[in-house]
Amino acid sequence: MRSTNSVMAFVLIMTTLVSLVLAFLQNGLKDKHDANEALYSKKATLGAIANHLGFDYSNISDQQVEDIFSNKIKQLVVNQEGKLYTEEEVAAQGYMDGIAANVDMAKEHKKGDDKMLPLYIYTKDNGEKYYILYARGKGLWDEIWGCVALEDDFNTIAGVSFDHKAETPGLGAEIKDNKAWVKQFIGKKIYDGDTFKAVNVRKGGAKDPLYEVDGISGATITGDGVTAMLKDYLVDYEPYLKTLKG
Amino acid sequence: MADTAVVAPKKEAIKFGKKERALLTDPLDDNNPITVQVLGICSALAVTTGMKNAAVMAVAVVFVCLFANVITSALRKAIPKQVRMIVQLVIIATLVTVVELVLKAYAFESYKQLSVFIGLIITNCIVMGRLEAFAMANRPYESALDGLGNGVGYGIILLVVAFIREFFGKGEIFGAKIIGAAPEYMINTLESTWFGWYQGNNLMVLFPSAMFVIAVLIWAHRAWNPKLVDIS
Amino acid sequence: MGDLINIFIKSAFIENLALAYFLGMCSYLAVSKTVKTAFGLGLAVIFVLGITMPINWVINTWLLGENGIFQTDLTFLRFILFIAVIASMVQLVEMVVEKYSPALYNSLGIFLPLITVNCAILGGSLFMVSKEYNFSEAVAFGLGGGFGWFLAIIAIAAIREKIKYSAVPPPMRGLGMAFLLTGMMGMAFMGLMGIDPAAFK
Repeated sequence: MRSTNSVMAFVLIMTTLVSLVLAFLQNGLKDKHDANEALYSKKATLGAIANHLGFDYSNISDQQVEDIFSNKIKQLVVNQEGKLYTEEEVAAQGYMDGIAANVDMAKEHKKGDDKMLPLYIYTKDNGEKYYILYARGKGLWDEIWGCVALEDDFNTIAGVSFDHKAETPGLGAEIKDNKAWVKQFIGKKIYDGDTFKAVNVRKGGAKDPLYEVDGISGATITGDGVTAMLKDYLVDYEPYLKTLKG
Repeated sequence: MADTAVVAPKKEAIKFGKKERALLTDPLDDNNPITVQVLGICSALAVTTGMKNAAVMAVAVVFVCLFANVITSALRKAIPKQVRMIVQLVIIATLVTVVELVLKAYAFESYKQLSVFIGLIITNCIVMGRLEAFAMANRPYESALDGLGNGVGYGIILLVVAFIREFFGKGEIFGAKIIGAAPEYMINTLESTWFGWYQGNNLMVLFPSAMFVIAVLIWAHRAWNPKLVDIS
Repeated sequence: MGDLINIFIKSAFIENLALAYFLGMCSYLAVSKTVKTAFGLGLAVIFVLGITMPINWVINTWLLGENGIFQTDLTFLRFILFIAVIASMVQLVEMVVEKYSPALYNSLGIFLPLITVNCAILGGSLFMVSKEYNFSEAVAFGLGGGFGWFLAIIAIAAIREKIKYSAVPPPMRGLGMAFLLTGMMGMAFMGLMGIDPAAFK
């Protein structure tokens, strides 16, 4: 048995060494981590307009993502009263550069009525415009979120992309992985005349060709979560989109 | 820290004979970590829905197992007995954190998908078990072989389970469609129409199926190698 | 209070650590041959999860978080600190129990060292972080998770005691059957998925 002192010394040296090594590594890789994080959400945003990019989205490179974001996308931050935030106002909330891509939606989601909403406007080479809206809600296990792209009639859906924190692989996780399911949303409408309807994920198969998509079997709750989050968020954008229209 | 490994006493020359080969190959069959020792099941179940995740996990475990064994073995005379467990755990936790940081920087998609389960390599009993049973009593060289053997033995089962689950669950291997109807969203990839009638078996993608697959693997392994049969 | 009961029920039944996430399988399979030993291990898990969860919550929020006392993001030390807390808590509990309650020590003691490497404990703490629980929620999650694990191991031990009398093909004896049974129990527990715990309020 060695004395307590030498044990303490060993433990101290060991912990210091270990923390130093890790801190060094963490610092060295920090930029890359942040860049990955940002790229990941940008890529997800572009997923909503995958069909309108003009090339195969599944092979998109990091460079292409950055190019599209800096050249073809205009980032706005609005609220549900139709107010457009200035970059300074957004930056004051602690979001870098005051741009939509840096808004922490997990945080904003908890604010309820007073949240900031990111809005991306994508202009195609031929001048067509697509409006990408954000939505967030609750799935079966944890949060789900996604982007919805609207055509410039502010009614027809041009594409969606969803993501989730912890849905069951093979069931709820299909909202992200099953591209055929996601594709159903294309061409659906969110308004019936002037009434807001959003899109309903229906268990057992869609009945209404314009406002409903088929549910995923075995993932009813996740599907209901998607329906609820679209209802909650799309209507929040209505006031601002009206100002664009008018 | 790894360069302290040279301090090993030079009683025997480093060689690669029969005994060393056994260290490497035993865990692949007679002493397989999953089907015989039943260690490290948790991650085997959770990450085997697809081969890609399983492969990343397998590499991570081989890395942690190998280096944890070497480092512990090199330090085995210096580690005070009273705090042995915690020191071993700190070594493992450090290596796992390294894996996590590297994955986050260079394989972000896998990092996102494996999430909590990277951290759980720490409590993967294989690593801990080998440190306690082998590395604390052997030289770094033998420990390295032992760690490598166990890591690879674990990784192979992981990949086999993942192969069965992904192939029958989604009709894919490493995310590429092999059997079943080719989905219409595929644009530039080779479209496969083999067994176009095949519908992915969703049960295979869910957690419990990993249990069934491993049970069947154990059955096959023990039927083929009867000395492993549980006689209790 | 309703929320806490909600989380307790959810973590005990719906998101059962053993049967929905398959955590802590090593000790779950190794120590489930008889109900008596399973009971001891189950109790120890509840105990340790209940203690380590709040401690790890405090460490994660006040030491490692960006709003903690160091004002920097130290989350890369999370694994090391969590496992160190778990290992030292287990040892502390072992010493305290040995000193003050030899009877309890005799039934629980041999399982305590096993708990350090039980992934349900570390997994619980990591899930707590990713679910962003607050302090009281973390306590409820720890106790609920432990209780769920306890139930699961008692159930499988009871089944394994009975299945000894069945004519199982030799290669499937013991371990093989344990895997199959756990898989089936997991499927049964999937039936609880999606139950709204608010109904229990």
